[in-house]
Amino acid sequence: MTSAAANPRLSSVPPLGPESPVAWPQRTLRTLDNGLQVVLAESREFPKVNAQLFIRSGNASVARHTPGLADLAASVIRTGTTSRSSLQIEEHLRRMGADLSISAGADTSAISVSGLSEFSDGLLELVADLASNASFPGEDFERERRHKLESLRVERTNPSFLASECFRRVLFGDHPYAIVAPTEEQLASYTRGQLVEFYTHHYSPSNALLLLVGDFSAAATLEQIERHFGPWKEHESHPAVSLAPPRHSGRSVHLVHLPGTVQTQIIAGNIAINRRHADWQRLSLANSIYGGAFHSRLVMNIREQKGYTYSPRSGVTALRQHGFFTVSAAVRNDVVAASLAEIFYEMDRMRALSVSPEELESAKSYMSGVFSLGVATQDGLLGQLSTVYLDRLSDDYLETYRQKIRALTADDVLDAARKYIDSANSQIVVVGDRDQIGHQAALFAPVEAYDPNGHEL
Amino acid sequence: MSHLRIPVEHTTLSNGLRVVVSPDRSAPIATVGVYYQIGFRLEPRGRSGFAHLFEHMMFQGSEHAGKMEHIRLINSSGGLLNGTTNFDVTNYFESVPSNALERVLWLEADRMRALKVDDDNLRNQRDVVKEEVRVNVLNKPYGGFPWLDLPPVAFRNWPNAHNFYGDFADLDAATLDDVRRFFRTYYAPNNAVLLILGDFEPADAFTLARRYFEDIPAGPPPPRADVSESPQTEERRGVVDEKFGTLPAMAIGYQAPVRNTPDWYAATMLDRILHGGRAGRIYHRLVHEKQIAVDADGGINFNGGDAFDYNGPTQIVTRLFHKPEYTADQTIAAYDEVIHEIQQKGTTADELEAVKIKFRADFYSNLEAGMGSYMPRFGLMHYLACFTLFDGDPNRINTVLDGFLAVTPAQVQSAAQKLLVPRNRAILIRRPVSKPAPAEAAATAQEVAQ
Repeated sequence: MTSAAANPRLSSVPPLGPESPVAWPQRTLRTLDNGLQVVLAESREFPKVNAQLFIRSGNASVARHTPGLADLAASVIRTGTTSRSSLQIEEHLRRMGADLSISAGADTSAISVSGLSEFSDGLLELVADLASNASFPGEDFERERRHKLESLRVERTNPSFLASECFRRVLFGDHPYAIVAPTEEQLASYTRGQLVEFYTHHYSPSNALLLLVGDFSAAATLEQIERHFGPWKEHESHPAVSLAPPRHSGRSVHLVHLPGTVQTQIIAGNIAINRRHADWQRLSLANSIYGGAFHSRLVMNIREQKGYTYSPRSGVTALRQHGFFTVSAAVRNDVVAASLAEIFYEMDRMRALSVSPEELESAKSYMSGVFSLGVATQDGLLGQLSTVYLDRLSDDYLETYRQKIRALTADDVLDAARKYIDSANSQIVVVGDRDQIGHQAALFAPVEAYDPNGHEL
Repeated sequence: MSHLRIPVEHTTLSNGLRVVVSPDRSAPIATVGVYYQIGFRLEPRGRSGFAHLFEHMMFQGSEHAGKMEHIRLINSSGGLLNGTTNFDVTNYFESVPSNALERVLWLEADRMRALKVDDDNLRNQRDVVKEEVRVNVLNKPYGGFPWLDLPPVAFRNWPNAHNFYGDFADLDAATLDDVRRFFRTYYAPNNAVLLILGDFEPADAFTLARRYFEDIPAGPPPPRADVSESPQTEERRGVVDEKFGTLPAMAIGYQAPVRNTPDWYAATMLDRILHGGRAGRIYHRLVHEKQIAVDADGGINFNGGDAFDYNGPTQIVTRLFHKPEYTADQTIAAYDEVIHEIQQKGTTADELEAVKIKFRADFYSNLEAGMGSYMPRFGLMHYLACFTLFDGDPNRINTVLDGFLAVTPAQVQSAAQKLLVPRNRAILIRRPVSKPAPAEAAATAQEVAQ
């Protein structure tokens, strides 16, 4: 038996070996005659293929009058095409070993499929069929709308959903990004005709991006794509108009009252930047030091030192037109004020003091390393490609990302924190029992209280 | 049909630690896991939630890496890490750029050798765990449904039937001595497997494993809790209040076969016929056709993972959320029709073939990334660990599919007749406390229908 104390091999941390270069996958780019943009990347380790067809229109494009319409349309698309019933689609998918999901976010709608690569031709054919020939069967529409209504009711009992919904409304004001979901009345009023109109208008090849990662040869797959997506007819679609978000001056506090809750969900944050902004990497690094990683300051403080919460986190959400910075934590009811105080203390520290060289290096290594992990799975790679091509970033974004992170300085972090981690103008949302937390929240700004449906109390 | 062959090499060190290595040169990364054969159902009686609380303590400091050093060192090497507590295993894992492999092994060895924690750490993590229970169970719709509320209805033996996340009184009662005793009992190298996957030469990985782990002393063989259940003779039912959600829900669970038996292969295919997504019979009948349910899913060992990662009693579970205008009994009656059909008419060769294709695809997806994890090869690591600890043979990763692909329609029908009977099942109903106005909303939807 060796004594650990006497053995330096066991008592000191092994140094890192030399960093291996990452071989970023070759991309094959093509634009079909109908305007469909196609990006392929081979990934041959597992006999699978992952594909995603993005439509560059989502809920924000209709939020003003029909919020959630893109989302409902996405659900109903799956239920039928001019040549396939709902059951035929589901059985066909199973026979190709495939999973399908169709959904809509603020900026995009997406048809995502993954299956065995031996069936890639059939998978592409099905995606093309769904994108161009959806039939919106009446009965399926009624069923899906009812399901959405029931899920919406459940969501509005969920503290984390309610916090996000309220936060977006407060942060974005009159901007379409303010609306995360429809009211029950709106949803119940949507018609099949509105869905068809949305689909016809937005599901157009010139408004779409097809990404494919998997075990295939790019040349053969391009031929399949030409065959299945070539006939998809282009029609004019108009991109959403970009509007300025409101400017917030000073803090505000918004409380969603859920009686009897045994914990409080906090979200605080401010408008920041999107991925196309030159400061994006700077802010990402500042965020990772503040609260974006397990070893970040916020986690150390309110979890590991104080035990207020299990899952504190900060992040930068990049929507197409604007981005926003948030910090969130679900905390014990009696430490709501204490948690907010620490949240803002850590923000202020980021804005006042330079990070140490060790902390800077550690955060840069984290961001660089985690970025390279993303290349190792088909799904991870697809996610990275969607970032680049949806946001129309430069073609060498993947190859140069790690260098850009490595080049950042303590001043860059300080600068980004001062610009985008806006402690003094944070919008604060708390979801919990007003009787237990109202007086604590009021220490930060006058409290506006709402019920779960957004009506003022 | 493509056949995938995973390279696997393994050995056992002189202290009993099993080491499994799977090289993969496709990206410069490494994924490392240490799995200890201790989980929820093996924790000491009267200490509900202790296995999980203890998992948190493994991040609170070891001999040469103080509190948070473990996390800081992995993150600052460009890596991600986590740990999870399961029914039969507790795991700790990291994905890192491959130049950090040696550092990761050093860290895992350091905490296998000696934990170094104090009362402050314990108090702190007890608070953190309580917030974890609140955010995941007590303060959200359908929290813990059905993984926490079905087992107490389904099982009679405490290891399978208690509150796995922990009663707060039990968490409060946990002491530092409990932590030390638990570590000595279950965290010895001879009760664990080390998995090293990724971009390296296997010989180098074995050398590093020996360098850091081989002189950790073995412990006495840990006691094995008796997790067996006495035979069930009648249907069991329970009701739990749903404090947030507006939809009534239920979980129906049938006792599942022991892994690796002929019944297990057949039951797994049967399960996929019933629950395999929207083409599955239950979703199709209850959600799509009859429109009684709003959502339906399920699986073998649905409460804890999948068909591969259990080593004791578990169930084939269906989870249903149904419309408020249907009663629980109406919903169960519609469900039972599906069950009776497969018992009486069985499956077709065509349906079974489709299910097998999907099963193979899902297996590959799990190996590649897996189980909702953000870590490359997480599922491969997980299955290799289970096959090593439960079956003594990590190479089952390359043969286990064959048993499923050989299942016949007759075997599926016979499994349905044998397993899917009321005296083999438990039903847990989750009943909303709040009363929405479903009839009104349904009427609104009808009025505006075109």
